[in-house]
Amino acid sequence: MADTPQAPRRARLELLVRHEGETEGFEVREIGSAVAFIRSRPQRVPDGSYELAEVASRVDGHRRFILKNSATDRFLLISEPERFLWEQMDGSRSLQEIATAYVLKYGEFDFDVIPQLIRKLQRAQLLTQTPTSRLRKALARHGGQRMAQMAESALTVLERINISSRNVQDVFRRAYRFGGFCLFTPAAAVLCVALAAFGLLAAIRLWPDAERVVSGFGKSPLMAVLSVKALFLVTVAAHQIVHGLALVHYGRRVREFGFTFLHGFVPTFYVDVTDIFMGTRRARVVTAVSGALVHLVLGSVWLLLALRATPGSFFQAFAAASGIIQWQAFVVALYPFCFIEMDGYHVLVDVLGIPTLKQDAIQYVGALLRGAGIRRFTRQEALYVGYVAVSAVSVAAFIAFNVWMIAHAS
Amino acid sequence: MGTPADSVAFLRNMRLFRNVDDADLATFAGSLREQPLRRGQILFREGDHGDEMFLVRAGSIVVSKAVTGRIEQVLARMGPGDFFGEMALFDRSARSATIQADTEVTLLVLDRDALARLTTDSPRAAAAFFQSLVHVFIERLRASGELVAEVTRWGLEATGLDVESR
Repeated sequence: MADTPQAPRRARLELLVRHEGETEGFEVREIGSAVAFIRSRPQRVPDGSYELAEVASRVDGHRRFILKNSATDRFLLISEPERFLWEQMDGSRSLQEIATAYVLKYGEFDFDVIPQLIRKLQRAQLLTQTPTSRLRKALARHGGQRMAQMAESALTVLERINISSRNVQDVFRRAYRFGGFCLFTPAAAVLCVALAAFGLLAAIRLWPDAERVVSGFGKSPLMAVLSVKALFLVTVAAHQIVHGLALVHYGRRVREFGFTFLHGFVPTFYVDVTDIFMGTRRARVVTAVSGALVHLVLGSVWLLLALRATPGSFFQAFAAASGIIQWQAFVVALYPFCFIEMDGYHVLVDVLGIPTLKQDAIQYVGALLRGAGIRRFTRQEALYVGYVAVSAVSVAAFIAFNVWMIAHAS
Repeated sequence: MGTPADSVAFLRNMRLFRNVDDADLATFAGSLREQPLRRGQILFREGDHGDEMFLVRAGSIVVSKAVTGRIEQVLARMGPGDFFGEMALFDRSARSATIQADTEVTLLVLDRDALARLTTDSPRAAAAFFQSLVHVFIERLRASGELVAEVTRWGLEATGLDVESR
């Protein structure tokens, strides 16, 4: 019997990373080429460096596109899905995120199309390497200034902080078996609704005494609010854990769980739920919503505790503030119109079938504001404008509410 | 600190001194001095000047080469019985890599004068020592070629670069 040919081992690099500001501190990180590949953020050449034209086939009716590199006069014939991938390659999305968007859009798992397209684009010199985030672009522009260099260093350090594990499926499976499954029963749903109702009643009863409740913070209200926020961070972990349990509930796999700094400065826990794309829409919706419900439940519990606490005490103020912040997190997580791709946004794009709603809407409205010639105003374009308008108003209202709350507490 | 007898016993197990007889080894061991390194301590950095080679008696060290910023590529890890720093001993060039202790480490230091004495006083022992050294050099050269190939493969895989059809 002939031996089965084995796939070649992927290359690994062993790198020594010195700790910032220390002469001797270091750690050694082993980085596989596969990980580096899926985390890379391909970026197409700037607008104006290429042209894209549609060529409709009269034979099979499929849409195809000619992509031309204006600098080198090299042409590429690409398909509709490849054009979609090309548009995703703006330097802000990793290949992993692009693959996710591709699955949502086309429902296909033929991921070979992505590396094949990348090779074609590289040959045609249509991909480039520049700083990706707007913050990084700004820092790069002011690279000579000491403050910009310090900010860049700080950002780099924070971005590198990523404590995660890819071997978490068994942990989640055990957690589900030893009690986690209870969260996905009708009894849990009833309890959740009941707690929300009691929590709302507690909030209504506390509201007339809001000033006395807040006075419990004493002389350092700002520090107290910040400590409430710090405690809130811990509950973000619970939010993510429930997402993971939902995956197990639907027979899917939790690929990764960890802690990192989102965009380099927002501390957060995360769970990789991409396997849920293989599930039903119901499974996707339940997975998305279940994590947010953690905040609804915790918020209600905190408000009930605040109601039972000694009036004007520190604990009452702390519990009430924690309750409000948890409820705020619940709303933010499920509210899809805030430019942030959180749980509610994922449900919305799933229902609408427009996986790149935010990017497309911002691009469309941006062009509209720049006065670019928009020839059509269809239902989809109306949706784009509506999304941007409602999101802008919502973000402004959110900021105003928080400023008011902190000012009120002070 | 180990006794001279301990040092001889240690050297006897090293590949470099396999063909050096006991009397010469005892003389040679006497010219070595011990140097401890605490965990994390940098012995020397790439670009530093030096004229000593080091034998690892106990512990583990990391050999690395600067890549960018605070990132360095790990070239090798060395443990008891391994040696490094011999290039500067022979050609007086700057150190080609940085050496840092990964654990508590004890080194034996061989300087140029001690090597010269070995060559003068015991040419046969010196010849055996140099012959073993050449064998190790050849192995390291091969390993270095393998590392270059591995790094190149990593780059191709990480970028998805299609070289075959360019």
